[in-house]
Amino acid sequence: MRLPLLALLAKEPAHGYELKQALEVTFGSAYPSPNIGQIYVTLGRLEKDGFVRAVDVEQSNRPNKKVYYLTAAGREALEAWVDEPTEGPRVRDEFFMKLVLAPLTGIADRMALVNRQRRHYLSLMRDLGELAERTDPGNRVARLLIEGAMLHLQADLDWLERCQEDLT
Amino acid sequence: MITGVGVVTGVGVITGVGVRAEVRWVRADLRARRGQALLTVIAVAGIVTALITAATLLEDGTNPWRGLFERGRGAHVWIHTKGAPNVPALRALGGVTDVAGPYRSAPATLADHGRKVPIALQETTAALPSVARPLLREGRWLDALHPDGVVVEQSFAKALGLHPGSPFPVTGLNGATHTLTVAGLAESGDQGFYPEWTPGLAWTLSSTLTMVEPAPGRTETVTGLRLADAGYTDIVVQQAVITLRNQVQRVSTWREVRASMELDNRLLGLLLALFGLAGLVAAALAVANATGGRVLTQLRDIATLKSLGFTREQVTRMLVAEHGTLGLLGIALGLVAGRVITAYALSDTVVVPLSSGPFVAIAAGTALVVLVAVWLPAWRGGATPPIPAAPAAPPHGRLSRLARVALLVRLPPALVLGARDAFTRPASAVLTLTGVAIPMMMITIGLGCWATLDGFSRHPEQVGQAAALSVRPGDLTASEALVRVMADPDVVTAYPGVELDALVPWQTRTVRTRALGLSSDPYPFPVVEGRMFRDRGEAVAGQGLLDLLGLRIGDRVRMTIGGTPLIVKIVGRVIEPEQDGEVLSFGVDSLAAKDARPPQFYSLVLRPGADAAEVRARLQSQALEVDQAVNPADRLSVIRVIIVALVAVLALIGLANLLTASALGLRDHLLDLAVLKAMGLTPRQVMATLVTGTGLVAMAGVVLGGAAGAFLSKGLIDLEGRGSGVGAGIGRAPTPGMLAGALLVAIGATLLVALIPARRAARAQVPVTAR
Amino acid sequence: MWPAVTSTPVIRATGLVKIYQTGGLPVPAVRGVDLVVEPGEFVAIMGPSGSGKSTFVHMLGGLETRTSGEIWLDGKRADTLSESGWAVLRRQKVGFVFQFFNLVTNMTVADNVELPALLGGASPKHARERREYLLAELGLEERAGAAPGQLSGGEQQRVALARALANQPRLLLADEPTGNLDSRNTRDVLKLLGKVHRQGQTIVLVTHDARVASMADRVVSLLDGQIVDDAPIARLQRRPGGTAGDIVELHG
Repeated sequence: MRLPLLALLAKEPAHGYELKQALEVTFGSAYPSPNIGQIYVTLGRLEKDGFVRAVDVEQSNRPNKKVYYLTAAGREALEAWVDEPTEGPRVRDEFFMKLVLAPLTGIADRMALVNRQRRHYLSLMRDLGELAERTDPGNRVARLLIEGAMLHLQADLDWLERCQEDLT
Repeated sequence: MITGVGVVTGVGVITGVGVRAEVRWVRADLRARRGQALLTVIAVAGIVTALITAATLLEDGTNPWRGLFERGRGAHVWIHTKGAPNVPALRALGGVTDVAGPYRSAPATLADHGRKVPIALQETTAALPSVARPLLREGRWLDALHPDGVVVEQSFAKALGLHPGSPFPVTGLNGATHTLTVAGLAESGDQGFYPEWTPGLAWTLSSTLTMVEPAPGRTETVTGLRLADAGYTDIVVQQAVITLRNQVQRVSTWREVRASMELDNRLLGLLLALFGLAGLVAAALAVANATGGRVLTQLRDIATLKSLGFTREQVTRMLVAEHGTLGLLGIALGLVAGRVITAYALSDTVVVPLSSGPFVAIAAGTALVVLVAVWLPAWRGGATPPIPAAPAAPPHGRLSRLARVALLVRLPPALVLGARDAFTRPASAVLTLTGVAIPMMMITIGLGCWATLDGFSRHPEQVGQAAALSVRPGDLTASEALVRVMADPDVVTAYPGVELDALVPWQTRTVRTRALGLSSDPYPFPVVEGRMFRDRGEAVAGQGLLDLLGLRIGDRVRMTIGGTPLIVKIVGRVIEPEQDGEVLSFGVDSLAAKDARPPQFYSLVLRPGADAAEVRARLQSQALEVDQAVNPADRLSVIRVIIVALVAVLALIGLANLLTASALGLRDHLLDLAVLKAMGLTPRQVMATLVTGTGLVAMAGVVLGGAAGAFLSKGLIDLEGRGSGVGAGIGRAPTPGMLAGALLVAIGATLLVALIPARRAARAQVPVTAR
Repeated sequence: MWPAVTSTPVIRATGLVKIYQTGGLPVPAVRGVDLVVEPGEFVAIMGPSGSGKSTFVHMLGGLETRTSGEIWLDGKRADTLSESGWAVLRRQKVGFVFQFFNLVTNMTVADNVELPALLGGASPKHARERREYLLAELGLEERAGAAPGQLSGGEQQRVALARALANQPRLLLADEPTGNLDSRNTRDVLKLLGKVHRQGQTIVLVTHDARVASMADRVVSLLDGQIVDDAPIARLQRRPGGTAGDIVELHG
């Protein structure tokens, strides 16, 4: 959450609620919308680290609101984040641990594990499919996000197939 | 809405339902390959046309004798006797159904523009006889009210320009001239056409005949026997000769009449039949190739159809219907074309169209061949498994031995790749090879026939026609005639000659013997086996005679000529284009003096380059009777037209095979194309690869076919020569120039046919994709 | 859509075995498979390549003969039918969709769709009406006169689907119907499959694609020619309107 907020602030200074709205507009329903409290907590931490600076703005009939600005240190941190390559998909997989270790204990059968996992993945896939149908076709960011999730799932299913072929 | 639940009631449903679907598919497929379909139709039509024409020529359809003989209820045997024979005895002979005559016959001469033409006047009745009836063509028949009327044989009348009403001045042997009038013209199946058959014939009433020839001793009597079966001829002749003892002067049978009317059509017909049959094989191959090739390219579609619910039988039926219809259409077209061609284009030659038996046989036979040719690949198509998901993969292109050789001799890579492709599908390659080789072989044989005909007309002496003219003394004495002949500057030699009919023991028919030249100075017969006669008592024979009497060179043969026995030894075989080769030739000095002198005629050998027609005209003006030899090649000139037509049809068939091969080859290599391009082959090299792939097999076919044709043509023509009695030794292989030309043209066409689709494919943007 | 949904299963296969003879060696592809598919069900068959899933579906449609076992289609014993018997059964009750579309190349789109109806004995008029209806449903009415080669892969597969549905088959069998399509065309074909399924069409479909499989009511997993799993896909107990984030987080 920290760095996306920095990124949004790099565009223009904003207060907390504006940031929440910007996130929702950009990612649409595809991404979990953060709650406002979380955003304020994060902003507080960023301010403490010196990445942002808060300025109180007076309002006529309401309490003062804080508008956040990106600091030089904040910009540096943002640039470092952008420049740095992102980690690939996880290699540490909880299901894989179950699959390898559970049979040793005699608690579960590998075949059953794989089958259950596959059905679960397919349920997820169905949800994603339904989500995709609900999503506004014009929202490209949201669509890509869903597609990404689907492709990951497909990869997981393919990998599951390999596991089943090789381990059972 | 259809309910989804249908009731399967078994086979009845299978055959009855879905014909519309089949028709729909066939129509769509035909639309997609109009050109190929047309080619199939034309190829089959061409072959059927050739077969029909061949059968017509073979079946005496070209011989007017058959029609005339049947319509006039002709007599199979004519017996010439001095006096009236014992008719009841003749009638009693087994196999004789009717007797014509006996009629009196008298020799006379007809004055024609200052020329005297020998004629035979034959007595007949005022009512048309029921047997051996002349067929009146113009004017009217004889009647007792007009005793000066004569009916003239049509070919004779034509030759002399006689019409009904023309004066007919006849001079009898006593020198008295009677001016009769032509009442009508008639045809007859009992006598050959003038001038091949002399003397000219005129029918008169008995009283008129008596008027012209009052002396009974100078007439002879002719009696015709009509038989229940032509096969009895020999026995009947034998018995008649025995019955009539020494009365018989001469016997002629229907065979001689037929032979005299024949235009060597048997030879032509045999040739055509050979071409037709080989062509049929080639056409069947072309049809099978086209169908098989098409099925091969359609395997996926067929599998899809089966997955939709087409049964195996339906698929087979559909394919047979599609490709068979094309073949049958071709057959129908060919039958019509054959009829039209024999009726119009060959109207001079063909008298009676093909009878329905052979016609139906050809139609049914070719239909059967076509259907079998189609059915095999169609059946294979029907057996396609209904799983279309597995696309038919082309076979792996191993580096064939041929390709290795190509590599060894450092050929360009495109050629090596093409050579590799050429034989990856061995079955297909063999089919293509044969499909090209057979038409090419037949084309080469056709060229051999052409060369043989050229040989005939350029070197008539090689076919026994060293003498272009023969002269009969006519009114002159033989020596006077010889003097006049030798006076002509163009005449080199004159050989005295006599032609006589000889009776051979155990042979019931007479054979023609020809005494020509002297044993010491023989006529230049074209001896092809053994040697020329050198002594008295030696003779040479045509193949037909050897076959007839079952003789071989070196055998002796005993015969009776004019009552005189004669024994000759056959020392050689000659090319004998006359009388179906049933002629025995020896020196005049081998004959008894009474038969040999004076010679009936002189055979004239002319100076090379002399115009026979000119010389003939000159000699005729000297009151000589001159006959010009008819070169068999002239009579066979129609063969040249047919050869050209056949070559065209065969070329078409070869082309059809090539197109199929080329389409198949392209299909196999379409996938490789992109890879080849990716490997860095230029479009030109890709094209060369494709052309080599198809072209190599086809070229091998062309060369193989050409070689086989050249090898076979001489032997084959000789075989036909032998079969026709003329004898082996006439065959010529195509000239090297001709052969080279044909091969070059064929190879050029092959490459061109392979080039066009290859060029298109090489230029097309082919993406590297899965099927 | 069906006038009366009977309790007769559309497919009942028991102990189905397929053994290929390859070079004299028996190679089992399917080793004793039991499957019951009720009317209106959508069953996805998954499994690694070589697990025998295509062979299994081909056997259900009679494209391949079974080595042993029984197949009952729509209450009728089918495994004992001859090749022709199968063909007739197929044209009436089974629609096939293949990975490579397999439209008949010589025929137009319209002809391809009309062919099964004509084969089933429908009049040309009826076949045309049915074709017009189906192509309109699939949004392809304008391509009726086109040759298959002129269509995109997705369009071809939609035509193939229309062709498979031309005779209103009891059963739609599909073998990797999206295996050769890009994601957009896959989405189009999936939408259609969902639509016909909602209309009551019984579907058995072989796929590798989780998106396709996730549409099914039930997933059958094959491994080495045997069924290792056969269960419906459960609905996740989660608030409606969940986001991709939820899902990603859930399994991540």
